[in-house]
Amino acid sequence: MNLRELQVVAACLASRFGASTVFPLLQQQLDKSVEFSTPVTSYRSLQEGVFLIRNDFPLYSGGVVHHAPLLVALMSAFSSKNMVSLLYACADTMIAFQLIAMAKCFSRSPLPSWVPGALYVINPLVLLSTVSKSSVVFSNLAISTALLSALQGNSIIAAMAIAVAGYLSLYPLLLVVPMLALLQKDKLKTVFITAATLTALLLSSYKINDENWNYLFSTYGVIITFSKIIPNLGLWWYFFVELFEMFIPFFKAVFNLFVVSCIIPFSLRFHKQPFYAFILCLSWITLTKSYPTLGDGGFLLSFVPFFRPLYGYFRYSVISTLLFIHVTVLSPIFYHLWVDLGSGNSNFFYAISLVYALGLATVLVDLVWAMLRIEYDKGTPNLKLKMTPL
Amino acid sequence: MRTSFVFSWALLVAQTYANVTSIDEELIIPNETDTAGTVFETCPIVTTSSETDSTSESLEAGSLFNDTTELDGAVNEEGEGDRVVLFENVEPIKYPFQEKLTLKPLPRNFMAASFQFQMSSNNLTVGEAESDFDAYRHYTVFPKALSPILEYTQTRQLHIRFTHGRWDAESWGQLPHRGSKSGGNGVELWAVIEASNKNEAFDNWISLANSLSGLFCSSINFIDIEKTTYPVLSFQPAKKESMPIFNSSNHLFLIRAALANEPICTENLTPFLKLLPTRGRAGISSLLDGHKVFDSNWHSLSIDVETRCEGIHCKYYMEEYIEMVFNVPSSLARADKPIPKPLQEDALMCDESKPHDSYECFPLPQRKETKFELSKLFGKKIIGSSLISEYPSKVCAVVSDAWNVLISVGDVFYSTDDNCFTVKDKELHDLHFESENTADIAEPDKAPIFVSRSLTGYGQDSGGLRVVFRNPGNETVTAVYFESLPWYMRLYLSSLKLESEVGLEIEDVIKSTFYLPAIDRERPTHLEFSLSIPANTSLALSYQFDKALLKYAEYPPDANHGFEIESAVVTVIEPTQYEMRTSTLLLSLSTPDFSMPYNVIILTSTIMGLAFGTLYNLMVKRLVTIEEADKKSSSRRGLKSRLLSFFSRIKRNGGKVDVEKKQQ
Repeated sequence: MNLRELQVVAACLASRFGASTVFPLLQQQLDKSVEFSTPVTSYRSLQEGVFLIRNDFPLYSGGVVHHAPLLVALMSAFSSKNMVSLLYACADTMIAFQLIAMAKCFSRSPLPSWVPGALYVINPLVLLSTVSKSSVVFSNLAISTALLSALQGNSIIAAMAIAVAGYLSLYPLLLVVPMLALLQKDKLKTVFITAATLTALLLSSYKINDENWNYLFSTYGVIITFSKIIPNLGLWWYFFVELFEMFIPFFKAVFNLFVVSCIIPFSLRFHKQPFYAFILCLSWITLTKSYPTLGDGGFLLSFVPFFRPLYGYFRYSVISTLLFIHVTVLSPIFYHLWVDLGSGNSNFFYAISLVYALGLATVLVDLVWAMLRIEYDKGTPNLKLKMTPL
Repeated sequence: MRTSFVFSWALLVAQTYANVTSIDEELIIPNETDTAGTVFETCPIVTTSSETDSTSESLEAGSLFNDTTELDGAVNEEGEGDRVVLFENVEPIKYPFQEKLTLKPLPRNFMAASFQFQMSSNNLTVGEAESDFDAYRHYTVFPKALSPILEYTQTRQLHIRFTHGRWDAESWGQLPHRGSKSGGNGVELWAVIEASNKNEAFDNWISLANSLSGLFCSSINFIDIEKTTYPVLSFQPAKKESMPIFNSSNHLFLIRAALANEPICTENLTPFLKLLPTRGRAGISSLLDGHKVFDSNWHSLSIDVETRCEGIHCKYYMEEYIEMVFNVPSSLARADKPIPKPLQEDALMCDESKPHDSYECFPLPQRKETKFELSKLFGKKIIGSSLISEYPSKVCAVVSDAWNVLISVGDVFYSTDDNCFTVKDKELHDLHFESENTADIAEPDKAPIFVSRSLTGYGQDSGGLRVVFRNPGNETVTAVYFESLPWYMRLYLSSLKLESEVGLEIEDVIKSTFYLPAIDRERPTHLEFSLSIPANTSLALSYQFDKALLKYAEYPPDANHGFEIESAVVTVIEPTQYEMRTSTLLLSLSTPDFSMPYNVIILTSTIMGLAFGTLYNLMVKRLVTIEEADKKSSSRRGLKSRLLSFFSRIKRNGGKVDVEKKQQ
């Protein structure tokens, strides 16, 4: 670890912790914004869970708590506000550090290893997401740990980390498929360890939740069935608000299949570039999940620097950049117009969520296109060549 | 047996006459098939009892019997010859029914009127269902409509409240009957139901609500699982140990629901009067008129039914209270001038010490002396007493010495020391009020606690509730705060905060909490706090909630009006027993665009299809340079050209066949 990397890590910790302590009201503001908090990730519902545990109220008998039981139990161990801020800052710093470590794994990369970490530190989406104390940070940490360990060939930790990510927010469990491509050996063992870890986590949650399985619906059932309809940046919410009642179960199945649909195709098609397949799967989940936040999007974008050699092939880089700027600027404004002022209506915010989905989709398509191009060029870029799929 | 008595019964006819000679049957049974008519009905009613079979005497007839036409159970059992003797000696049969009207002037020329009716049923047969065809049921004064519902749903206690308006506790003092007879704005219903388990109790509860909905012409059938709570600390029956369980393997369940701000109207009063044996045609209930009751500033209609047992004999006891508060000057003005018109110039009361001209002036304060009759307030006089009841109808005025209250019977005026009057016979009665100083009234009981609740926040996605408690007395008040909130208010109990000037902590005030979080579309949030509020303090509790978005079809037709939130209930346990409700709230939720379903389905599907289709296309197909692609496409015939050539070949073949045919 050289000085520059140390500086990046220190800056990450300082910026996260500093922002939380210097602007304590910022946390509440961000926690109320639909861009950074959803019913399944918001800090206030986590706090509610801690409150219910401390007062011996039932945790998952209805109500607003949709976090995993072990996470709530972990948070209830912290009593001081600063400690909690420090915990979030540390988790985020770990991600930054792991990004740097990942960059080191690619020895042929033209990029200095500190750059992805530095970009992560200054990424406003990630910074605000951490300050809002969204539990997305923890599942992001688990995902990046899994990815780093898989890159380093440490299959046990990778398997355990991906199980934790799945335990915290369900859909990342799908990433075990591209991770198997990433690991050269011990594939069966990885699957087994993942399953064992997940079972252990679920069983210990069962124990901690007064031997009651009702947490399964409140945490994962809510994600799958999208039963808490709160506006967010995803494709689900307005669709299920407006859909006719009798079609709802069918389309819930369709939307869930949609999340799963591209995981195996990506892993198969790009099995020679497993890291890349992993990121594609991650961005597919970010695009299609039921409760996305900008924190997910920010985390995803911090992997883009790793694909430096592909930049030349990007066809829509200007468009996708503009789309992201469009979303980040207009989404709070349109939401405010709809909900607070009443001078706009729900279609305003719906349009923004479509634009966000479009932005993510263009990034995804661009990445796939660029990788196909560089495959064709066999590693030596020939940007003049005009190509078409046939 | 001679027949036919005819009552000519009209308001304007002062003298009602009845020629009654004989009665065949033992008792006068209220006949439910007879249309009792509406409250407004004043036309003459003719009731005939035939010579041989007169089981269908209307109750109105019964209430107007002369003292000389006496009835007794013995009548029927004796031979016909003895009848004349019995008629002379035996007291008229009396039923367990009692009624009383209390009038109480309030500050600022308001007046509270409280109509109280109490009745009880005949003995019930325990363990015998109403539906058994051989079960013999006998109803006297207890309403026949209610009893089968109570038996069918195994209801041991039933409480209904229809309340509307604002009770100004700051100036009017305590609610009537310590608040035990009035509900929150809208309709409130709670009951103690006997059942073997909770599900059965809930099923009974729903059928009870549906039956009552039909009986009272109101939307009680909108009570469903989303609104029903099982109170733990509030609404507890007064004497729990005396509550009978007919089947010892069963349990009792206390269930409650409220419909906030449900409109209450004339069609709700009519069924209330129909439950009375007098049907609003005699006794004090003859004063009740929908226009007057619902014109009042505050009114509350309540029914409480209890089952009481002594040994194996059980009875239903029913209390029906109708309370109202009206502004005397405005009621009198309306009686004088049904259509309001501007006052004549000389009738204006201008304060001439202040600047004035011929168009505008400051009005003088209302006059302190007053003089009015009850008939002017209610539009009618009291039509006689309820003669079938054990006690005669009573009218009481709770006034100070500055008031002079007289009762007029026909043309004669009477007064009493305690201002309580007995209404007798079939005479028209009227009450006359006179006062030198209307501000001088009987001191109202001070309310032990003031509670007000309000919504905070401005957005449609989240908000807060703030409840301000004020204890004006010199004693610590112990109370239970009950709140039931709909599931779309996602409550964060961890955000509970207490504000007070004297630096109280939450633990000082909230002694215990019962909290049952809401389940979407299945259960409301149920919150009960045991509070202890120190003397002469005011404090505010506040907590935050998020608002959920509903599905398109779940919004009511006027979605932007908002959703009514039922009032919170505060039950004071010490220093006095007292019950009160806060006002209801109007919660506005964010709404989707109701015209969009197809557009949303299409647009979202387009984006999903775009992403998936493009990726699929890229992954499945092969990348080639454009030159190669062009070459391939030119070398390979397209679909169109292939189809064209296919069709031309068919044509050619067909032509050949034709030619061959021709050749043959």
